[in-house]
Amino acid sequence: MKRTSVLRWIVALAALAVVLFPFYWMLNTSLKPQTEIFLSPPTFLSSHWSLDAYATVLTQRPVGRYFLNSLIVALGTTALSVVLAALAAYGFTRFFPRGATPFIVLLLFTKMLPETLLIIPYFRLMSDLGLLNTYAALVLAYSSFALPFSVWMLIGFFRSIPRDIDEAAMIDGATYLQAFWRVILPLARPGLVAVALFTFLIAWNSYVWALVLTTDSSMYVLSVGIANMVGEYRVQWNELMAAAVIAAVPVMVLYSLLERHLVNAITAGAVKG
Amino acid sequence: MRSSSWTRRRRVGYAFIAPVFLFLCAVVLFPLGHAFYTSLLRVRGLSSTFVGFANYARVLTDDAFWHSLGVSLAFTTSCVLLHMAIGLGLALLLDGLRFARTALRIAFLTPWMVAPAVGATIWLWLLEPQFGVVNYLLVAWGAVKAPLAWLGEPALAFASVVAVDTWRGVPFVMLLMLAGLQTIPREQYEAAAIDGADAWQRFRYVTLPNLRYLLVVASTLDVINTIRHYDIIGVMTAGGPAGATEVLPVLLYNTAFRGNRFGEAAAIGVLLLAIVLAFSLLHIRAARLER
Repeated sequence: MKRTSVLRWIVALAALAVVLFPFYWMLNTSLKPQTEIFLSPPTFLSSHWSLDAYATVLTQRPVGRYFLNSLIVALGTTALSVVLAALAAYGFTRFFPRGATPFIVLLLFTKMLPETLLIIPYFRLMSDLGLLNTYAALVLAYSSFALPFSVWMLIGFFRSIPRDIDEAAMIDGATYLQAFWRVILPLARPGLVAVALFTFLIAWNSYVWALVLTTDSSMYVLSVGIANMVGEYRVQWNELMAAAVIAAVPVMVLYSLLERHLVNAITAGAVKG
Repeated sequence: MRSSSWTRRRRVGYAFIAPVFLFLCAVVLFPLGHAFYTSLLRVRGLSSTFVGFANYARVLTDDAFWHSLGVSLAFTTSCVLLHMAIGLGLALLLDGLRFARTALRIAFLTPWMVAPAVGATIWLWLLEPQFGVVNYLLVAWGAVKAPLAWLGEPALAFASVVAVDTWRGVPFVMLLMLAGLQTIPREQYEAAAIDGADAWQRFRYVTLPNLRYLLVVASTLDVINTIRHYDIIGVMTAGGPAGATEVLPVLLYNTAFRGNRFGEAAAIGVLLLAIVLAFSLLHIRAARLER
């Protein structure tokens, strides 16, 4: 028994080393000076580690701007999606509980649409409307995949709040809107926070929409800005990896905080269809 | 009196759900309709002419489409099999550990957390032919004689994008399987142990039957997510070299945004949608049947 458990740990840690190696290499590269990047053999630990590449990407490259763009678009998408989703989740669980399941199946279909198909009309419509390179275009486009997800998850959370609670509030003379605003929303707060964070992360990580809807580099989001740096004439890998760290670390932190809800969020799609 | 308060209640209900319906129509349904419409047009710069199903006829008689469909099927099959096998293996491994399970689960999930486009960028550096660390390690360990052009040769490039997609996709399956393993009643394992079942038999006759439903649901969902995925290949190879990694979403993107042939691209997209929908129906049936 003891031996198998030691063996288990060895295999688990070896697997973990393989899985995490790319991140170690990203961090290691981002901390190296330019001259050390092309050394052979490459250095796995270096006495020259510094934050210079971070300073360079934040001052001499528009990575700060990309970060800001990602933040604005992801926050805008989250706000829009969560507000609409909360209304719908309340509406379905309180007024049309039987309609919730067919609606969820409908959302399931919208979640499965290939995004590459939808970027064609989005590109054509937004360029006709003169909305390329605007936050509005990105927020609208992102809500097309974020909103179904938010509604879906929130219906799950709202279902778990007993309907007796809002009915009791209404017997006390509250209107539907008051019951929703004063009673249900505060009770649903943990769920709302989790859904908001997930929506934010989904928006933050998306790529191809912004790739198509922004042509002006000052409007790039992080994922697009970083991927485009690869196409440069002479790639500065330490700077590129510093930008990747800036994009990846906040996401890892947020997801780790959400770990408790993660299984629910993922299995919402897989199991409760 | 009763019925009027009931209709009032319905009206209030509609007011709550109407915004989402209207919004979904505007951001999903209308663009989807527009995409169908575009698939019936020949778009040349600012002018477009209605050509009926000519784009579909053209796409379906184009070798590039069939080649791309083949690449997509090969890519999706390889990735999903690897995701499922490794994901299940990791879940079994982690499920047997006594402590640090949450920390390990989070650590194993990191590839899935990061934006695929950013993950792909990190891999571009790892696989860089001259200075990349993967070539360095393989040469140092004697696994290969000379550095390989990972993304420069068709077969290697295909293997590379499959590997990166596996790196990213395994945690998703692992998490689902871990959740599934938690639901298997301990008594079943105890009963099997009393009957003298060894580890393999316990897996074969207790674990697998209990996970069957989840395995079907996870694999259909994974097929849907993989077959329409653009980001990793878009960033790493853009479909090259010589079309070796040009899966359907990449062919679609290249047709629309590099070739400026929006009508054809939309037709490819509608065909891709048909494939995805077929798997969606399978997925929904699987998710329903066994409940």
